[in-house]
Amino acid sequence: MMQRCQTPIADAILLDYWARDLPDGSDLDRVEEHLFACGDCTARLDGIAALGTGLAALVRQGRVSGIVSRAMLNRMQRDGVHVRMYSLAPGETVPCAVFPGDDLIVAALRADFSSVDAVALSVTGSEGSPFRQYDNVPIPGPNDELFWATPAAVVREMPSMRLQLTLSSTGAAQEELGRYVLEHSAP
Amino acid sequence: MHTVIDSSDGDLARAVAARGPGESGAAESELYRRFAPRVRLYGLRHLRDEDAALDLVQQVMLMTIEKLRGGLVRDVDQIASFVLGVSRSMVKDQKRLDWRREKLREAFMVPDTVVAPAGDMMLDADRLERCLARLAERDRMVVLLTFYAERTAGDVARELGSTEGNVRVIRHRAVDRLRACMTSAEVGQ
Repeated sequence: MMQRCQTPIADAILLDYWARDLPDGSDLDRVEEHLFACGDCTARLDGIAALGTGLAALVRQGRVSGIVSRAMLNRMQRDGVHVRMYSLAPGETVPCAVFPGDDLIVAALRADFSSVDAVALSVTGSEGSPFRQYDNVPIPGPNDELFWATPAAVVREMPSMRLQLTLSSTGAAQEELGRYVLEHSAP
Repeated sequence: MHTVIDSSDGDLARAVAARGPGESGAAESELYRRFAPRVRLYGLRHLRDEDAALDLVQQVMLMTIEKLRGGLVRDVDQIASFVLGVSRSMVKDQKRLDWRREKLREAFMVPDTVVAPAGDMMLDADRLERCLARLAERDRMVVLLTFYAERTAGDVARELGSTEGNVRVIRHRAVDRLRACMTSAEVGQ
């Protein structure tokens, strides 16, 4: 008789298993033995797998907003995502637009991140109206750029506007690291 | 009435083993229905390719049924272990083949073609996009590095200047939030 699982594998373990974070050996073997004998836990793992597959599909379509790492961007480009990148130094104003075939628009914001672990990025529209706010963004290793991504489909719907971006460190100091301006022209 | 659906895995394997080809159709079908998703997930976990995982299901289940019919499965009550063993062996062979192909590709510079896996859009992509956007930046970066870039917790920790343990906690919490969001009425269609 098929029964519900009496000793379900914890969600955290299933997630570790799927993310290849269970080292080869007894733990991995035990989880796989259990999964092959248990429909309930297999179904739960399938839920994690489907979520992962769905997330990866979104990224491959350029449907990702917010801060992305350089490694992510490289992988997306390798996977065929058409990325249009605008590079800005502190104090710089750069005209920008979206073009047919673009999947993802990225602003590469240069700054000195040598003494910060995390930053906040504030994006405001005309007359300082809030547009986007990203807090506590980790800065990976030695890096001199932060990549802010917006799906091209979103940018295509935006009117012509001036976006002001302000990067500041988080924590007690909250020091401003740079201000940048994107002059967006609607298609 | 006792049906094949009520049978244990061992009972199903016994029914397949006791009869000739084609005589135990219902038991074979139920065995396939039960184990195919498990083999598919195993294949997806180890090969990270939906097509390869589906091929694995066909090969493993075919071999399992043939071995059962031929009386070559020593302990039918341990059929799950048998199917896992066959899956492991076939994935190992597949990885060896992939490694050889990769070496050939490197040698002859055959250009890559990128094809999206067949099962990509099983979830509501629009809703998932909205749910992803609701996560905090750090959480979002962790789940994307895990599921898209296929980084382990250690890799993600190095990339984000965190610890492996912290990444695991963030990842678990973020996945919980995404799942809750995917079923929440608040997010809407």
